[in-house]
Amino acid sequence: MVVKQTILHDKHVQLGAKMVDFAGWHMPVQYVSIVEEHNTVRNGVGLFDVSHMGEVFISGKDSLEFLQKIVPQDISKLEYEKAVYCQLPNKNGGLLDDLIIYKLGINYYLIICNASGIEGDVNWMAINAKDYDVKIDNQSHNYSLLAVQGPKADELLRTMGLDTIQDSFTIKSAKILNHKMYVSRTGYTGEDGYELLVENKFAEDLWDKILEYGKPFGIKPIGLGARDTLRLEAALPLYGNDLDMETTPVEAGLSWSLPRDKKEDYNGKTVITEQLANGGQKKLIGIKMLDKNIARHEYEVYFQGEKVGYITSGGISPVLGCNIAMAYVKNIKEICTGSIVQVMIREKLHDAEVVKRPFINKRNKVRN
Amino acid sequence: MSITEKILCTKTHEYILKNDDGTYTVGLTDYAVEQLGDIVFLELPETGTTYSKGDSFAAVESVKAASEIYMPISGEVTDVNTALVESPETLNEDVYEKGWLVKINPTGDTSEQDDLLEYEDYKEEVE
Repeated sequence: MVVKQTILHDKHVQLGAKMVDFAGWHMPVQYVSIVEEHNTVRNGVGLFDVSHMGEVFISGKDSLEFLQKIVPQDISKLEYEKAVYCQLPNKNGGLLDDLIIYKLGINYYLIICNASGIEGDVNWMAINAKDYDVKIDNQSHNYSLLAVQGPKADELLRTMGLDTIQDSFTIKSAKILNHKMYVSRTGYTGEDGYELLVENKFAEDLWDKILEYGKPFGIKPIGLGARDTLRLEAALPLYGNDLDMETTPVEAGLSWSLPRDKKEDYNGKTVITEQLANGGQKKLIGIKMLDKNIARHEYEVYFQGEKVGYITSGGISPVLGCNIAMAYVKNIKEICTGSIVQVMIREKLHDAEVVKRPFINKRNKVRN
Repeated sequence: MSITEKILCTKTHEYILKNDDGTYTVGLTDYAVEQLGDIVFLELPETGTTYSKGDSFAAVESVKAASEIYMPISGEVTDVNTALVESPETLNEDVYEKGWLVKINPTGDTSEQDDLLEYEDYKEEVE
């Protein structure tokens, strides 16, 4: 397989980034230090190249009906210029991907999906589009996506001339330094921030200018390593780790995103509706390690001497100063907030406490 | 003579350094630590434990990943860098002076060192 590069690839190399293969893309994992980059986003502002992610535009007179069919969320309630977090279930409720859907106009929507999901998602959409008058336009190769994240992100973009006022989860067509782009107040860090969707030809200039204007704010480029620790503290799921074809959105702890009253049929509705009432086979929990050991993806989880599940994502929490993880465990009520479970690490069991997710709140307020 | 001229390295990124008293200091190469990134956890064995060449005797974790550390030669652990377990991030600054892992009394034949590499050859091999 040919490893792909974003338009900004050479910028990362020039900045001295350590590059790794991620979902078929050659991407920066860190520029200097993951912990330093993590703290920069929590306390100031950081710049991410997430151009590997997919952009799929949906248009045509049946756009709404089509989207209603493919996601559990109620897209009829999505207002103009608003965004909603969604999943893409198969007929059994297992997940092909998770996405954000943006309403750009009447019968005009944007889907941003994971890099690893683009091809499968588009194929799945095409299969589901048979009975609808809808155009599925995969524009991933023509767009770059830059994320400006952190408490100082808004102020920075204002100094660059961002000319719109936006609430969280809104998207607007806006201008920054005379480049036209979509500006969305979303992100994957648990911090305030924006994602800037630009045509490839503007990406390099925009990247340079953000770093230049960001200097007084202490901006740093941020790699995928810190993106992972940031999203873990915020308990945001990562497809492939926390979500997969064998996992429903209810099991993944995403019930908050699922409407109970959606009338339209959608893929996986029978299973998801049943699980919303009775729970799934497994459930996602957050844990905090009680010693210095780190729970990692696929490590086994034990409760009262019995193997009950496995870690999906785990690592350090620079903000909390301890190690945290998410895990799937048997859906039994005995495992709840405050319970002690064990994680098998290098053939030894290590205690961990079940805690609430997210591990930290927005604005760095530490959760007790 | 600089320290890198005195050490021998494994392809799995450990080094040994012969001390005047006949013991060997075992550690991780600077290249290994650079590749791992921010070191956040270290697990070391207890004094008196014996290992054969190639045995996993310690574990190191960076933000990114967990890695096992293997014995370059057979030996009995005579000293453990307990200060390093308390502040494993020291490894990111210095792997030779403050960042050594254990000292061992060799229990095998010197021929165990035949497949170890001099630092320059090691760097060429891994880079």
